[in-house]
Amino acid sequence: MRSRLPAVAEQLFRDIQKTYEDTSQIPDDLLIALKFVFGPCALQALDLVDQRSVTCLSSSSGRKAFQVIGGSGHLYTCFVSCHYCPCPAFAYTVLRRNEGLLCKHILAVYLCQAIGVTQQESVSDQQMSTLLSGTVAP
Amino acid sequence: MSDILTVVFRTFMSHTGLKTDLAADPPPPAATTRSALVVGDHSVSRSVLLLAAVTAASHLGLRVMFFTRTQIQSLPASLQKCVPSLSPESLKVQVTPLPNCGTVEELLHQIASLHESTNTSPTPPSLIIVDRLEGFLRGHSELHPGEQSCAAHLSALLCDTAAFLTQVLEKRPSSSGPCRVIASFRSQEDAGQAGGEASATDPVLDILDRYFQVRCTLDQDRGYEAAAAGLQQVWNIYLSGRGIADASDTKDCEDRPAEAQEWQLLIYPDGLMEFKVV
Repeated sequence: MRSRLPAVAEQLFRDIQKTYEDTSQIPDDLLIALKFVFGPCALQALDLVDQRSVTCLSSSSGRKAFQVIGGSGHLYTCFVSCHYCPCPAFAYTVLRRNEGLLCKHILAVYLCQAIGVTQQESVSDQQMSTLLSGTVAP
Repeated sequence: MSDILTVVFRTFMSHTGLKTDLAADPPPPAATTRSALVVGDHSVSRSVLLLAAVTAASHLGLRVMFFTRTQIQSLPASLQKCVPSLSPESLKVQVTPLPNCGTVEELLHQIASLHESTNTSPTPPSLIIVDRLEGFLRGHSELHPGEQSCAAHLSALLCDTAAFLTQVLEKRPSSSGPCRVIASFRSQEDAGQAGGEASATDPVLDILDRYFQVRCTLDQDRGYEAAAAGLQQVWNIYLSGRGIADASDTKDCEDRPAEAQEWQLLIYPDGLMEFKVV
């Protein structure tokens, strides 16, 4: 994702990426930092990472989007270039109360990208349009 | 994305008079911001959107897509004066009318499908304009459950689509990128005050401000000076938002003057519109 994050969060993802490349794990100090910056959704996001819940969808036009399988099995489509998730936590905590930077699904996308465990899947252009619009196919 | 709006304001500036040769201006500088939200009275903001669409299509040679719930029946007088033969049908702008029943779901689907044509169309759009977001978001009722989330979805989709089309345009030999987005919005407070200053307390406007880099606020000047000058209306235009701050930072680094952030729009009794730097 290329969306604007606070510098501390961007640095944290860079540190996680570099450390994971060297050691194939995320050390405790970075996990604590993750919890400090993102609050309780950090642990939930790490659960999603463990379950390999993040898939990068691509269509033949070149358009990409992330799809995250939530804890309840729901599928959430998140955008590549800006922060949006159709989950209730994003609507309430991030948009309405302005109390969090991200929801656990978007955080899981960042973490999966950082440690390189994002699944890949191809979809048709029409399927991509339907997923992006969040509507049923006409 | 204030670059296209700034070109519009400069093209129709009052101190130079109306320019009849739209091709005479230099192209805008490379855009550092790509999304702008015009906030205020919907008839004035629609005129600004139409000026932006025609200026971008005719003057800058950009492919423009204009999404609206209402048919374009007439063009601003300023455009008719520049190009007398110009009619809504002859615009070099792809107008996609989503008639009165046009829902936000329909608009989402239209925007989400734009990437499909990049395989077949020679030129993807470089400017996406959405007229009256509130009409799509609120439909026929004042309150819509999940309105804020819906506003976020639509804004994010517009920005993500523009980012994708920018990548596509930059790969083309005759790049006309980046792709920009301009939308108009009238807040509930603004509608209640019939043209008063848009309040930042509108929860939907707060959401839109998260995604649109520049806000262009239209605020009617109801002072005596406007009436004394024989003008029909005077509007103060304020450009604000992180896109303006980013542009100013860049320009400071390059030791260039910062872009004007305040303009005035003068509307004459015959409908002519002129812009003035404040």
